[in-house]
Amino acid sequence: MKDEIKIAWRNLWRNKRRTFITAASVFFAVFFAVIMRSYQLGTYDMVINNFIESFSGHLKIQHEKYQDNPLIDYSFEYNDNLAEAISGIESVTSVVPHLESFALVSNGPQSKGAAVIAIDPVMERDFSNPENNLVRYRITPESIVQMKNENVLPAHVIGELEKNTGRAYSSRGRLELELGLPASDNQLYIPPILDNIQVKNGYLEEQDNGVLVSDRLAGFLKVSLGDTVILMGQGYRGVSAAGIFAVRGIIKMPSPDIDNRLIIMTIPTAQEFFGCEGMITSLAVNLTGRSNRTIRTAQEGINSLLSGGSTVARTWYELNPVLYQQIQGDSQSGAAMLGLLYFIIFFGIFGTVLMMIAERKREFGVLVAIGMQKGRLKRILSIEMLFLGIMGLAAGLMASMPLILYFNHYPIVLKGDLAKMMEDYGWDAVMPTAPVGPYFYMQAAVVAIMVIIATIYPLRKIGRLKEIEALRS
Amino acid sequence: MKVLELKDVHKTYNSSEVKVHAVNGVTLDFDEAEFAAIVGPSGSGKTTLLNLIGGLDMPTSGEITIDGTDLSRLKSSQLIDFRMRNIGFVFQSYNLIPVLSAKENVEFIMLLQKWSKEEREKRTFELLKAVGLSDRVNSRPSKMSGGQQQRVAVARALASRPKFVLADEPTANLDSKSAANLLEIMEKLNHEEKVTFIFSTHDARVVKMAHRVITLEDGKVVSDEVRE
Repeated sequence: MKDEIKIAWRNLWRNKRRTFITAASVFFAVFFAVIMRSYQLGTYDMVINNFIESFSGHLKIQHEKYQDNPLIDYSFEYNDNLAEAISGIESVTSVVPHLESFALVSNGPQSKGAAVIAIDPVMERDFSNPENNLVRYRITPESIVQMKNENVLPAHVIGELEKNTGRAYSSRGRLELELGLPASDNQLYIPPILDNIQVKNGYLEEQDNGVLVSDRLAGFLKVSLGDTVILMGQGYRGVSAAGIFAVRGIIKMPSPDIDNRLIIMTIPTAQEFFGCEGMITSLAVNLTGRSNRTIRTAQEGINSLLSGGSTVARTWYELNPVLYQQIQGDSQSGAAMLGLLYFIIFFGIFGTVLMMIAERKREFGVLVAIGMQKGRLKRILSIEMLFLGIMGLAAGLMASMPLILYFNHYPIVLKGDLAKMMEDYGWDAVMPTAPVGPYFYMQAAVVAIMVIIATIYPLRKIGRLKEIEALRS
Repeated sequence: MKVLELKDVHKTYNSSEVKVHAVNGVTLDFDEAEFAAIVGPSGSGKTTLLNLIGGLDMPTSGEITIDGTDLSRLKSSQLIDFRMRNIGFVFQSYNLIPVLSAKENVEFIMLLQKWSKEEREKRTFELLKAVGLSDRVNSRPSKMSGGQQQRVAVARALASRPKFVLADEPTANLDSKSAANLLEIMEKLNHEEKVTFIFSTHDARVVKMAHRVITLEDGKVVSDEVRE
């Protein structure tokens, strides 16, 4: 075996160019497949997390009719014992009550339909933690003028700020991400920028009777902290619901779709507004993980607790089938693209293997003529292909891994029409990669299988080799 | 003692329009340590006959027996093994393994036969010394002249102490000095190793040195001259 490995290794370097071409085919196959899949899965992950973290949770307990007919009439009485029992199920990390409905929100001549979500401001800190999403910074034309006057920022930084005029940020990290300045610029210029664009904001107290308004909705209504908004809608069992509420804070939701239409208030305030004392529309449940198995097991456990009642537990994908199907559809088209990529690259690898066989037919004939068994010759060729595969695979994985890790921490922030298109879909306009996981090794395995398939043909050729014909070639 | 016997051997190629009788009823036998040349014009069947003797091709009819073994009765893998143990090959265009050094090329057959390292090294140095290449043991074929490569090929052919060596036009690609040198070495090894050499050739110098000259025409033996 040692000698076979030695011959195979030396054979690789007989024709360096051919070896590099073949290894490069494998390298590019792995590299592009991994990067492409990583971006796809990373984007799905972000979209799903946005949805789950935006009050949905991994599972939601609702009245059985609420999904098809989301009326406040299908609310149910909140019971501390039930929440405790659910918390006892393995993999459940938190259970929080929500009261959700719709209302027309207006300020002066501006009005818009909005989703009203009522929360327990304290419990919610361990769940979606809306406090994290409070707007802390906003780039306004006035703040830009002030920064120009202070003359502490270079022109290209001012240019970036001007491009982002009107945008609000809930953290320094998000601001850095969207401005996309080099790390050295961030260190120098972000502190003076933050000083100038910092805004006052507030959160809800436990028994607060004010509201939080999502940033885009606040922009549409032209309201800010301390202003009031009027809410009108239909309450429990047809009562009319109307009220005036002070704006306690502006919240920036990651999903633009939700950011366009969200009002948050406390549960007692909402119960009073909608006339449904002691009632909630859902209990959102967060789990330790998002795997199908974890979600299904928890769902079964909760449903067994709820059996006999009018409430059921639904998964996040049952709650949002459109999003789920969008992801499934996109994943399938991504898989088709990957298939096409594999197909092209397979023939690249296969072509170079055929070339190698054609070039060495006479040599194979000589080796068999002087006494080398075909099986041994096949082993040498297999080892050569193995070396080529390993070189390409290792290089592909090593080159893609740092990129994946980097873009997982610092996702690409989309701009222009592409960003708008993604926001229209209700997705955040950033493209992160998925962290290194099973998909990473799966792509490598697929390419390894391609190399094995490409090796089968030359091995069959050797099996059928006729010494006399090979020697004449 | 007969090492090789051919009885009424025919080889016919069926092309689309005509049948070509490349070897037409050849009956020959060879003793141990012969130094025989097969001569004849182009297309007379010299190479085909050597290929049949070497088990690289199978006769249409007739029998080829090497040391009592009928080649046609061997399966493909048995035939490869049989060739490795009994027949050495020297090709017109050397056909050394390009990625192996002179020493490794000579060692290769012994390695296939699982000789011990000591035995292999002893035999390799003995043969490379015999062909005058003890100073080129680590050179790869691409760094050697044609004559040197063919001498390595001769050493390789003899490495596993075969019954006979088949050489197809061994001097065809060599200049006259290298050809003469190679022939001297082959003749010396023929004596020293007691190995039969059978070579096809057009080269008058080779014919002149041969102890037996078999002339083929249209696939038939037209003369078989043994010289003293």
